Amino acid sequence: MKLGKRWLPAHLLVWTYAGLLIVPLYYFLASAFKSNEEIFAHPFALPSSFGFGNFRTAYDSADLGTAVVNSALVTVLALALTLLLALPAAFALARSTSRLASAMEKIFSLGFLIPTFAALFPTFLLAAATGLFHTRLFMVFFLPATAMPLSVVILVQFMRTIPREMEEAARMDGASTYTVLRHIYIPMCLPGIATVLLLNFLTFWNEYLYSLIIIGPDPEQRTVQVALPTLKAITGTDYGVLTAGTVLTLVPVWIVYTVLQKRMQQALINGAVKA
Amino acid sequence: MTTLTPTPGGAAVRRPAPPATTGRSGTPRQGGTILAVPALVWYAVFMIGPVIAIFVIAALHWPGMLQPVSFAGLGNVRTVLDDPVFWDAVRNTAVQLAVALPIMIVCAYMLGYYVAQKPPGHRVIRYLLFIPGLISTPAKAMVFYAALSPDGLANGALQSVGLGSLTDAWLASPSTALACLIALDVWSGIGFTAVLFAARLDSVPDDLGEAAQLDGAGHWRTMWRIHFPVIRDYAGVVTMLQFLWTLFGSAQHVLLLTQGGPGSSSTTLSFLVYQKAFIAADLGYSQTVGVILFLAGLVGLLTIRRAFRQNY
Repeated sequence: MKLGKRWLPAHLLVWTYAGLLIVPLYYFLASAFKSNEEIFAHPFALPSSFGFGNFRTAYDSADLGTAVVNSALVTVLALALTLLLALPAAFALARSTSRLASAMEKIFSLGFLIPTFAALFPTFLLAAATGLFHTRLFMVFFLPATAMPLSVVILVQFMRTIPREMEEAARMDGASTYTVLRHIYIPMCLPGIATVLLLNFLTFWNEYLYSLIIIGPDPEQRTVQVALPTLKAITGTDYGVLTAGTVLTLVPVWIVYTVLQKRMQQALINGAVKA
Repeated sequence: MTTLTPTPGGAAVRRPAPPATTGRSGTPRQGGTILAVPALVWYAVFMIGPVIAIFVIAALHWPGMLQPVSFAGLGNVRTVLDDPVFWDAVRNTAVQLAVALPIMIVCAYMLGYYVAQKPPGHRVIRYLLFIPGLISTPAKAMVFYAALSPDGLANGALQSVGLGSLTDAWLASPSTALACLIALDVWSGIGFTAVLFAARLDSVPDDLGEAAQLDGAGHWRTMWRIHFPVIRDYAGVVTMLQFLWTLFGSAQHVLLLTQGGPGSSSTTLSFLVYQKAFIAADLGYSQTVGVILFLAGLVGLLTIRRAFRQNY
């Protein structure tokens, strides 16, 4: 389709919005290398030096190092548990034609309609009752449950594309159910697994409210997302340190996004639309 | 077969034709449905259980974690409905939804349409639009805090262009606090939603638009009269998503940016649930609002679904 001159307003509007997205981020990145005085005097100027002083202060004063390790730990373990639960479930649901299986699938799909946030307080009670309150472990158990509907539904859709003849042939050769799952289904739906992993990586890493309540403020246990806002209180209004800390928490996501840009967009689009 | 939502043609996995239920049922499938049980149990314990608990706690009089619990029946509902703060929260939530949702969906659709036409630089735009989707809530809140606090970016920019008289303590002023939260929603929502729309529009055949152009339809007309009806149900899904995110997710933004204040000028329903549970420790009250929120979400979803139904 040809885009004529009449698109000029559209171009302008779109790039203005793009500017609104990029300017605050630029301001953030630039401020991370500046002192307060510099930020106020020249908010948009490039930093005069690229010292890592603010990063170090942010890192030390909010224990961001421990927090990053905690976040990584929670994210990785929760991702592993998600796959461990969702893969066999999706496998079973994709192959089965029984009424029970389709009922189960419906239950998972209905999960999209349950907003996680609504159950914050009861979940807190559950954590207290299991003795796992104020631990990272509860989050490792809890996060996969929130990811289950989406993960199962996406994996089922991928697994349904695998021709049944593949399994039948393997069965002829005496393959067990486990072998079928391990050697046929999992290798063939690696793109689906990647989608589920990326999607959940993002939500697990960025999870805030539950981590705040369940893990709590203990610097030994808390995740980056919980540690980050404390910088506001600790540093008063040292924007340099505040922005440096925020930039630090964005780095892992940024690395993943830049390396896997196409894949990530695809994953999020798939995920959001099925959610 | 249940497909909750339509799959975006080009983007998602293509669903094969549903397996014939009769044709192959002769083949016994060993190790069947039982494999789905652990996932289901896990899901029931951590998700369905707590959701049911909301309804139970809403019927309890429970004035604090360590206080004795008694049955309150509908007592909490009366307390909540008599509380002016609750009505402030209802109003704020209604304003938030009424302002943010239409702006977000309309702008995102137009933006998505723009990107899907592949104008020069569309790859860069696509990359940029995605940024808000990657940033965590606390990081987004920090961006807005840095931009809107008294000596932040917005006031600095106003001063530097000689409009110093317009500066304000945006987040701390009763007249602008809620507007800031809405701005945050819109700012981060448009880009991400636009990417979703663009992905869906990519799978609409090109000749559809070309045919319309040959018939003399302008872009505006093609966009709203030709393409929009095609993806109407998808727009419904996206609207539902944004509706849920705004309705339930606003608690985090409010908590991080304004704490509901000043007064109750930026208290939303979902923040009220949080605030009553974890700050005021009035658990019955909190979960009653939770139930109301839940029902509001359900009614909203059904309404949106109806509004976007395909009418052939």
